[in-house]
Amino acid sequence: MTSQIQKIIIVPCSGIGKPYGTVSREAAYAVTEDLRPGQTQLVPLALLVLGDEESRAVVAESPAVTIDGCKLGCAAKMVQQSGGTIAQEFAVLDVYRNHKDLKPQGIAELNEGGMKLAGVLAEEVAAVVDGILTAKEGGENA
Amino acid sequence: MSDFLETTVDKFTFKVAIDRFYNPEGVWVKEENGRIRIGLSDFVQQRSGDVAFAEIKPVGTTLAAGQDVAVIETIKVNITYTSPVSGNIVEVNPAMTDAPEAINLDPYGAGWLAVMEVTDWEAERAKLLDPQAYFNIMKGQAEEEAKKL
Repeated sequence: MTSQIQKIIIVPCSGIGKPYGTVSREAAYAVTEDLRPGQTQLVPLALLVLGDEESRAVVAESPAVTIDGCKLGCAAKMVQQSGGTIAQEFAVLDVYRNHKDLKPQGIAELNEGGMKLAGVLAEEVAAVVDGILTAKEGGENA
Repeated sequence: MSDFLETTVDKFTFKVAIDRFYNPEGVWVKEENGRIRIGLSDFVQQRSGDVAFAEIKPVGTTLAAGQDVAVIETIKVNITYTSPVSGNIVEVNPAMTDAPEAINLDPYGAGWLAVMEVTDWEAERAKLLDPQAYFNIMKGQAEEEAKKL
């Protein structure tokens, strides 16, 4: 019997009007649409806040990677409150500290530095997704 | 008796430690055995947002009151803070390099910026605000900020 591969849930910040929130969403789009489209699924934080049953069920069933734009950590908190399991928490600020030359600016449209920072963050998230899936496969084959 | 003066404006609560002095910018000054330690008030750190980087003038720097002592980059703004006193920097908080979020987490404790030697503390202190005076200024600033929300 072939088991269906479970997707990793990606939940970014929903903060509007702040560059770091925009970076988190751009990174999430890059992972779910370009880097690991078959292995990940984007769940909007707003749906979790609204208590959307379908979104809560998805989050509760699969490991999640959260990407927060600030230390309030809304994405991580809402995944936990929705009964989900966080496999890894990311904070845009932590990634920026390692790439000081990529200062994000702009809100609706990020500057070049912000887009590059989102790209770096997306690669880090994709690597974590690979690690989770590899660990799951190893566990299932054991 | 509480160690802080507190006020809540909108949904935010701001604390002012009562064991030190302040300048109007919200830089605190605490005398410790002949040296003074400086840092940022709770209101300043909350208003500025999560700190990304903190650059403090290095040990050995001589500053007059009003000269730049630190540049703080947060997720919202870059702000230059001036020294509230005249003196020499003799110690910089090592956490400012590796974990500047200490400013947000513990502004009156682990988030201190630097230690300075001053030649005439009594004269310097006379130019600073006591906790109640700073609290009054800070409360006004917080209420002005709240009107912008």
